[in-house]
Amino acid sequence: MNIQYKKGVLELCVLSLLKKRDCYGYEISEYLSDHIDIADGTVYPILRKLKKEGLLSTYMQEESGGPPRKYYSLTNLGRETYEKERAEYLYFAEKVEILLEDDVNDKE
Amino acid sequence: MTRNEFLSMLADELKKNRITDIDDIVSEYEQHFAFKMADGFSEEEIAAKLGKPDVLASQFESAGEVRKRGGRKAATIMGLCIVDIFAGAFFILLMAWEVIMAVFSLCNAVIAVCLFSGISPWSLIPTIPSWPGIVFGLSLASLSVLSAAGCIYFAAFIRQLMRSYSRFHQNTIAAASGSALLPSLAINPRLPAKTNRRIRSVALISLAMFTAFFVLGMIISMIMSGTLEFWHAWGWFGY
Repeated sequence: MNIQYKKGVLELCVLSLLKKRDCYGYEISEYLSDHIDIADGTVYPILRKLKKEGLLSTYMQEESGGPPRKYYSLTNLGRETYEKERAEYLYFAEKVEILLEDDVNDKE
Repeated sequence: MTRNEFLSMLADELKKNRITDIDDIVSEYEQHFAFKMADGFSEEEIAAKLGKPDVLASQFESAGEVRKRGGRKAATIMGLCIVDIFAGAFFILLMAWEVIMAVFSLCNAVIAVCLFSGISPWSLIPTIPSWPGIVFGLSLASLSVLSAAGCIYFAAFIRQLMRSYSRFHQNTIAAASGSALLPSLAINPRLPAKTNRRIRSVALISLAMFTAFFVLGMIISMIMSGTLEFWHAWGWFGY
């Protein structure tokens, strides 16, 4: 699938994961590539963009036996944006599904 | 590709794309390698799964990263300044025309009042019998209304033109700095349909009245003075 096409949806997936709990970059990358077929590296530009837009904030946390990890967490703006975009996406997806199903019916 | 090859290629590509804060980005990928290698993957496997460094670097650019100073944005702003000088001169011209129309309308109104009342301030109004004077006064009053309607519409037009231009201005800068664009605005003023209709009928009626009263005034003057060139008979121009 087209990468530009996926990107907006991936942003939504990242926000949904971070709504549950704070994560470090690698965790998010693993989580996404477990579910969706993308190159592992794709998630870092997305995280950076979301941070730049003020939807995410970062903090460093020491881990036992390793370098400090950079954690991403959802800001209030991020939370609001997520709720709004989630509703919009679900509505949109529902409509698209109706249209595509319709296409099959027409052929029959 | 090994870990070091991947990271240095990524840093080079980011530098080429003028992305800021390259170290921070590269350190995220270093961490990714560290985690994966701890899980027992080889450097080549990890690099292959990450994707191509040049493709990833271009994704940082399209993610709205701010380019370094002196890039496209500065050139755009310089270009805009030049466009602004011309557009500014153009707007001054348009506003001057608006002022001329307003003064024209006001003068016509004042002359009409003088003709109605028969007052001739500083003897500026030439001698004219009161009958044709009133008819010419009505004609000038209509012309005053007509130009006032023109004034109102033209003011709305200038306002919309300036708003549309400033939106273009904003969007050009936004495009150069990679932020979101606003929808562009049309040049034509979007007056409410009711206002539009009213202005149009006022303009048409006043135009018709101006023409009718002007012709009527001429005819009455010609009959009263008994000559086609009545202005000579009443000595308007001093001969």
